[in-house]
Amino acid sequence: MSALPDVAAWRAAAARFAGLFAALDAGARVGLVARAQPASMLLWEVGAEGVAARVAPFPGFASCGLDMLLSADPESMGRIRDAVGGDLFAALRADIRQGGVVCYMLRRRCDLEARGFEDLLEALGFAFMGACR
Amino acid sequence: MKPGEAKLPNLFQPGRLGRFSTRNRIKYGACCVSNYNTRDGFITEREIARMRVIARTGCGIITNQGAYPDPLGEGKAYFRQVAIFDDKFLPQFERVAADIKSQGAVAIQQILHAGRYGGIDLGYCIQPSDVPQTLPHFRPPKVMTREEIRDCIRQHADAARRAVRAGFDGTEITSFMGYLLANFNSRFTNQRADEYGGSIANRGRFMRELIDAIKQATPENPLVVRLNGAELMDKWGGNSEDECFELMQQAVDAGVDMISVTVGWQEAPESSIGRDIAPGYWNYLSERAKKAFPGTLIAFGNRLPDPGMADRCVRDGVLDFWEVCRPLLADPELIHKAAEDRLDEVRRCIGSLNCLSRLFRDLPYTCTMNPALGHEVEPEYEVRPAAYKKKVMVIGAGPAGMECAITAARRGHEVTVFERAAQIGGNLRAYAVHDLARPDDLLSVISHYEVVARKLGIEMRLNTEVHAKFMRSMLHQYDVCVVAAGARVDRAPFAHLPGAERMLDALDVAHGRVAVGKRVVVVGGGKIGLTLAESLRKRQRAEVTVVEQDKRIAGDVMPSFKWRHAAWVEELGIACLTSCHPVRVAAEGLTVRDAKGAERLLPADSVILAASIRPSHELFGEFEWMVDELHGAGDAVVARGLEHAIQEGFRLGVRL
Repeated sequence: MSALPDVAAWRAAAARFAGLFAALDAGARVGLVARAQPASMLLWEVGAEGVAARVAPFPGFASCGLDMLLSADPESMGRIRDAVGGDLFAALRADIRQGGVVCYMLRRRCDLEARGFEDLLEALGFAFMGACR
Repeated sequence: MKPGEAKLPNLFQPGRLGRFSTRNRIKYGACCVSNYNTRDGFITEREIARMRVIARTGCGIITNQGAYPDPLGEGKAYFRQVAIFDDKFLPQFERVAADIKSQGAVAIQQILHAGRYGGIDLGYCIQPSDVPQTLPHFRPPKVMTREEIRDCIRQHADAARRAVRAGFDGTEITSFMGYLLANFNSRFTNQRADEYGGSIANRGRFMRELIDAIKQATPENPLVVRLNGAELMDKWGGNSEDECFELMQQAVDAGVDMISVTVGWQEAPESSIGRDIAPGYWNYLSERAKKAFPGTLIAFGNRLPDPGMADRCVRDGVLDFWEVCRPLLADPELIHKAAEDRLDEVRRCIGSLNCLSRLFRDLPYTCTMNPALGHEVEPEYEVRPAAYKKKVMVIGAGPAGMECAITAARRGHEVTVFERAAQIGGNLRAYAVHDLARPDDLLSVISHYEVVARKLGIEMRLNTEVHAKFMRSMLHQYDVCVVAAGARVDRAPFAHLPGAERMLDALDVAHGRVAVGKRVVVVGGGKIGLTLAESLRKRQRAEVTVVEQDKRIAGDVMPSFKWRHAAWVEELGIACLTSCHPVRVAAEGLTVRDAKGAERLLPADSVILAASIRPSHELFGEFEWMVDELHGAGDAVVARGLEHAIQEGFRLGVRL
């Protein structure tokens, strides 16, 4: 249940939602890990050629070099795998809201905005970044 | 005994906190920081003036807002938060404590180390473990060493000692809402492998040592601890409710005098205090605490805004003290009105969270319902008797007009309100009816105006449209005319569209003046369009599509409520087409063009225009030479929303 989605499908999802990644600076990185076994992370990496996807070891929060990290519980990971070829961001939004996915922000808001993350954050449901509900 | 006290005998009965007796069972809670103070932690005259008002609310216990206890400012959560890490801060604390006690209340000073949400002036925050933020507003974490933990506990004890020296009767430490104490208690943020992490006994060690240090530093003074009954973080690996209550047990065993039960963390994925949560929803947590810890005082107040409900809670053993903050920001006279059986005059907190929205933009907090909040130090905001009595006509009985009318009448002016509709409230009434969160809260604004206008003897002339001819018939009868005619949907930007005349006016739909079909397209994804779309979808089961020309929906929605609309739109299955422009309207529906230039037809029985509104300010020109003073207020000047309408109506009312 906790297996990461297929790398090619993850890359294809980024291509399908290219508009969300269009403003990201080269070098921007978003990771996905299984919360229970965060040994590997599935990456979206923005480079000169566009958004690439690959799996890499997850070395911990401090040295993972990510801008954002999605950490999914087993059920949510299953839903993400199911949605990777469809409306992936709707699935991610729903699971973030329901608590099945924790979205860690590894940079501050001003840095994320400067690196072009505004649309991606919006697509993940962070319509309002930071306050009590 | 005052008549209201007899009706709420449980709430108005005396109580005790440690060696201090309290005149009633009401505790003013330091629910959030005002941000009125200096950047380096000194209390300002603005804050002193606000606290003068709070000291006079009639509460039995008053908690002064949280002060950070460390010189580095790692505990500082808000730009203009007060500090208590040095004796240099004492003089202002002494003034606050003395003022609270002069009014017969027990004075408590909260010590607030924000932990995960702190370090606002620094490049980091401190935490028990390296757990990154989930909200990018906050700073990246730095893990506390054992020595830093010991220092932090010592700083809290010093702060408590200092607060007592300043004249406070006791102190309070707080985990609400996800601050340092909560960070140690929670499994989500405490993943340490030493004696401060791991088991719940170890996670609670910081709290127990904190309580012990403060009790040793101030043995004669009560200590309150604010603890989560529910973190709402359990889905992310945080504490379950059972674990929260185990931690409360530890606090009780450590000798705390009162537990203030709270709900939620700032980053929790669920609502806790917004107006989408029903009043009373969380009372079960307090009741559980009261049953589990019969020897310890329990205070509670999250989403418990009603004194009547609070009275029943005391009677039924749900809580010992009603902890109330935002309702007293909205109406500092709440307790006095309750005591005098004038609850119908209360300005209710409507849970807009305007206060928090501003705090998280690093601004001083204000209140949608209380225009004077934060301006107590300014004489210009006082409602003082008018130098001479004027006859004032107010055109429009929406929030701006009614606020102005009431304020002017309180100053002694003779006021008449003219309203073309059969009832007061203006567009707020229509908005409230369609609100999915809590229509009752918004409608309470209108009922407040109805009651107070009646008691002040304001003449209400409903079903009366004021125009130039009408005005000519009344020449020289009034000294002042206030145009508060609100706003209307602006059709001009869409007038060029083929078929534009087919589009329904959003306000006509909202007021129920026109009906819509089963397939609806709403043009405009701001608060009016979204509220209408959600209501039509949920209540009339219409198929609804929202078309927004901007890149995002909810652009004019209060920051703390944007997520709510985004969530409703998804839950209700409302399609939202952003960066999308209307092209033509026809019998079969609306044709739109997307950002790539592609056109498509959105089949619809009804197309509703809610894209923009404009002020109804034509009367200004018409009345220019007909009355001595001509003023405008609210949406009739610049179309915005409830907060600005109330603020402007008030500001005009105190100046007439």
